[in-house]
Amino acid sequence: MAEADMMNDPVGQKPVYWDPYDPGIFAEPYPVLKRLREEAPLYYNEKYDFYALSRYDDCIAVLGNRDDYISKHGGVIEVMKAEIEVPSGMFIYEDPPLHTAHRRFFTKVFTPKHVARLDSQIRDFCVKALDPLVGAKEIDFIEHLGAEMPMQVIGMLLGMPEEKLKEAQRNVDESMRTEPGQQNNSSGASLAGDYYADFVDYRIRNPGDDLITSLLNTPFEDDHGTTRTLTRAEVLSMVALIFGAGNETTNRLIGWTAKLLSERPDDRREVHANPAMIPEVLEEVLRYESPGMYIGRTTTRDVEFHGTTVPAGSVLLAIVSAANRDEAKFPNGEVFDIHRGRQPHLTFGYGFHNCLGNALARVEGRIAYEEVFKRFRDWEVDMSRAKMASTVTVRGWETLPAFL
Amino acid sequence: MPKLTFISADGETKQSVDAPEGITLMEAARNAGIDSIAGDCGGACICGTCHIYIDPAWWAKVGDPIDIEQATMEFSENVTPHSRLACRIELTSEHDGMVLQVPPED
Repeated sequence: MAEADMMNDPVGQKPVYWDPYDPGIFAEPYPVLKRLREEAPLYYNEKYDFYALSRYDDCIAVLGNRDDYISKHGGVIEVMKAEIEVPSGMFIYEDPPLHTAHRRFFTKVFTPKHVARLDSQIRDFCVKALDPLVGAKEIDFIEHLGAEMPMQVIGMLLGMPEEKLKEAQRNVDESMRTEPGQQNNSSGASLAGDYYADFVDYRIRNPGDDLITSLLNTPFEDDHGTTRTLTRAEVLSMVALIFGAGNETTNRLIGWTAKLLSERPDDRREVHANPAMIPEVLEEVLRYESPGMYIGRTTTRDVEFHGTTVPAGSVLLAIVSAANRDEAKFPNGEVFDIHRGRQPHLTFGYGFHNCLGNALARVEGRIAYEEVFKRFRDWEVDMSRAKMASTVTVRGWETLPAFL
Repeated sequence: MPKLTFISADGETKQSVDAPEGITLMEAARNAGIDSIAGDCGGACICGTCHIYIDPAWWAKVGDPIDIEQATMEFSENVTPHSRLACRIELTSEHDGMVLQVPPED
């Protein structure tokens, strides 16, 4: 139970309360999410005026239906409420036919086969990050690995200059950072991708073998059936999306894996002895600690869940982190079990907007831990110095020092 | 218990598998260690790594892919009119004798 909840309501007598901003709930969300699944499978939050679903089948029903639940108003509560005009190219917040046209651009770049070819480059980045730590007393899984390798990989794919990546990453972090308990009121500003203008303009003048160049030059059929290339503005939005997504998420996966295995020495030693288990362990980490807590949609008509009507035009959240522990889908869902095998968790979403980078994240995570286990069998996270990132959209560690 | 036959991408090898009803074709293939049917996402229909060809004679029994599946198949290679994602097909007695082929690597 969240700390605040525990103090005010030790035996859970009050109606269940959840919002993604409450710092106590954010720190320890799962007891509240369990109560949501059990007591309020369709939950309405009066304070922020949103509806939320927490059971697996309900989340699937929303995410798999793009007619009744649309994305163009955004996927994060404050963006949806602010009625921000989402710029063209930010395709996670688009609907067909524009979404289909824009997303198709990336699919081929991020296929499992394509990202598998990046194996040696990803491994090189991991080796560079980890080799200096051999013989050291400590590692910070975020500073040394999580915040480094995925950034290098996405920078390389996009064709951004290596020496500018850290600054660009700080820009992403700043745009996502929120004060505890507050909404992120800058969410809209970063969507246009103005920050990336220099990189894109450089590739307009100096085409290369990279994603920014292909975005600029590849013809496609747009939503009006016209064959054209993307506008500079569309490219900027897409680069903002890809760089931001590529930085934030695998980083969190690397952090959660380190923490969960730190707390479970037997599991950790088993994986060390048998690194072929790594992909399945990572799937369990993804299920158990989803970096993204929820995915938002806007209803286009009145819909009914569990006997209650959600009116058209409502903000409706699919709480994928809750669905991932739904006992009806995952027996003993609240238990972290490295022997569970691959399960269809919703951490990468479901349906038309599912995470384009899912194959890349899996490959990055696997190689990162193959290289970690080549060097270290044991580590112990120092929770007294660990710090969670202060963002409402992605939940995970910003600092995660561990004794080696 | 439906009996399935998996033909390798080069057409050289055939493997017969007895699969219980109620599991998906992806799970049946993975349990039998069929090459190239990775099923990375565990059946959430988001990775496209359980792409398989259905023998045309069996197409009517499995039917056309749904729209989500079609979208996810953009992650798969060598998609043909007989392509499906194996995680979307739940096995029943109707599938006894079904013949499938693994798509080529590239």
